[in-house]
Amino acid sequence: MGIVRSLQHWLGGHGPHLQPAAFVPETHPIRLWADTFPWDAMVQAVAQSFAQRFPKKRPTGGRPSVSLRVLLALELLKHELNASDEDICQRLRTDGAVMYACGLPEVHADHAQAHFVFPETLAQFRGRIDQDLMDTLVAIQAAAAMDAGLVSPAHLLVDTFPAEQGSQRVTDATTLYKAQKNSSTSWNASASSVRFQARA
Amino acid sequence: MRGFGRQCRGQGTVFVTLVRRTEKPLLDLGGSLATWAQEAQDLLHQTSHLDEARRGRLLRDLTAASEAHRHITKQSQRLTQGKALSQYKIVKAYDPTIAPIIKGKSNCPAQFGRKTGIVSEPATGFIFANRVPEGNPSDPSSVLPLLDKVQQALDCMASPKRLHVHSLGGDLGVNDPELRHALHTRGMLTIGMPTTVEPINPTPSQQEVRDILTMSGLQRIRTPHQVHLACASGYSRPVVESPIATLMSRGAAHVRYKGLQGAVVQMGMTVMAHNGAVLVRIQQQRLSKRGQKFRRLLGLKRYKSNKINDS
Repeated sequence: MGIVRSLQHWLGGHGPHLQPAAFVPETHPIRLWADTFPWDAMVQAVAQSFAQRFPKKRPTGGRPSVSLRVLLALELLKHELNASDEDICQRLRTDGAVMYACGLPEVHADHAQAHFVFPETLAQFRGRIDQDLMDTLVAIQAAAAMDAGLVSPAHLLVDTFPAEQGSQRVTDATTLYKAQKNSSTSWNASASSVRFQARA
Repeated sequence: MRGFGRQCRGQGTVFVTLVRRTEKPLLDLGGSLATWAQEAQDLLHQTSHLDEARRGRLLRDLTAASEAHRHITKQSQRLTQGKALSQYKIVKAYDPTIAPIIKGKSNCPAQFGRKTGIVSEPATGFIFANRVPEGNPSDPSSVLPLLDKVQQALDCMASPKRLHVHSLGGDLGVNDPELRHALHTRGMLTIGMPTTVEPINPTPSQQEVRDILTMSGLQRIRTPHQVHLACASGYSRPVVESPIATLMSRGAAHVRYKGLQGAVVQMGMTVMAHNGAVLVRIQQQRLSKRGQKFRRLLGLKRYKSNKINDS
C-alpha cells in the first residue's frame, strides 16, 4: 500500500457534521499544545523534502492522499501522549481534540467507519523522514518560538542522556539469552514431568 | 549523564558475555572481506560491458560492505567498564550504529543504546537542538554539531533582529580545552562549564568578571551583565536534568523505531512534542520563580504564543 492511499471518507461521508474547532474547548490541553506549532512552515518543509527525495509521480485519478498536516500532527501527538500507532489512529476517529490538532476543519464520518488513517500509513510516513528533515522541523519550531519572543538562545546548556535500544526490537544477545533460558526451562519442566510419572 | 541505575544489573552482565560470543563468528567471517572488496573493485574498473549506473551501484555496495566490517572491528576494540575486552563487542549484527554506553556508571554493567545530546534553555527547558550520533562518541565532540543546529534555527528566523548565543554551560563531561577555545572563537562564554566538581560562583565580583572576559578573549564582545547571566546559568546547570526527565516520560528512554534513522525520528518528534508543552507553560505563565526571573533578565515577553500561527 502506498503512502498516499488510505481511508479518506471522513471528509465526504454521510455521518453527522462535526466542526472540531467549535467543539473542542479553547482551554483543552491538546488544543493549546497544537496551537504552539508553526504548522504551515513545517508542512511546507516536509512536502519540499518529500518532493526532492521521492519525485515519483502518482497516476492521475484515484483517492486523494492523506494530508501531510494530518500525518505530521499524528506523529507528534503520538509522542506527546506516549501512545502507539494504533492508539493514536483510533483516537483520531473518536477524539475531537485530536481531530483539531490534526487540523481537520470539519468531519462527516459514517459510524461504520473504523479508521480515518491506518497505522500502516503513519509508519510509512515516518519511514520517509530523514535526519535533515528532522533537524529542519526542530529548527523551524525553535525559530518560530524565537520570532514570537518566547525563548532566547543567549544562554544555553548542553547535556547528553542514554536511550536504551528497543523494547520491541530486541538485540541479538537478548534473543539468544531468551532462547537459552526457554530451552533450559522446557528441559527442566520435561525432566520434572518424567520424574512425576515415574513416581506415579 | 543519567544512568538507568540498578535496572540493568544481572541481565546486562549476561548480555555482554553473549554479545562477545555472538560477534566472534561475524568477525571471523568478514576477516578477508577487505581483500575481496579491493579485488572486486579492481575487476569492476576493468570491465567494460557494464553501464555507468550499474557500475556505480556495485561500487557503492562494495564500499558499504567493507565499511560495515571496519565499523564492527572498530567497535570490538573499544572498552567496557574501563577494561579492554579480551574478545569483541557488537550489539546488533544488523545495526552497527548502536554502541555500549558506559559513562556515568558506578558498579553497573554497560547498557546498549544511543546517546542523545540536547541543547536547552535553562529558564524554561525549551530544547533548541538535539542530536543522535552513531555509536558512543565523547561528549565534547557532540557540542559543536549541536551548536551548528542552533545556528540553523537562528537562520530560519523571520525577524530582522539577529540573536546570538552568548554562553554555553555543561557538565564536567564537556570540559575540554580545545572545545573551550572553539567556543571562544565563536564568541561564546564557557564559564558555565565547570573544571572541577566545585559549584560555580553564581555572583562573581567585578574583578572575577574582568578575569573571565580576559581569559576568554571576549572583552569587547561580551558584557559583564552577560557574564553574570552565564554564571547564574552555569550554577543552575542541574535544571537540564528536568527536560531530560520529561523527555524520558514521553518515551525517550527506549528507542522503539528501527535503526539510527528511527532513533533520530523518535528523538526529534519527542523533542518537538516537549517543546510544544514548554510553550504552553510559558503561555500560561506556569514557570518557576527562578525561570521567571531569568526570563525577565533576558528581556523575554510573557505571553505571545498564539501569534505563532497568525504570523
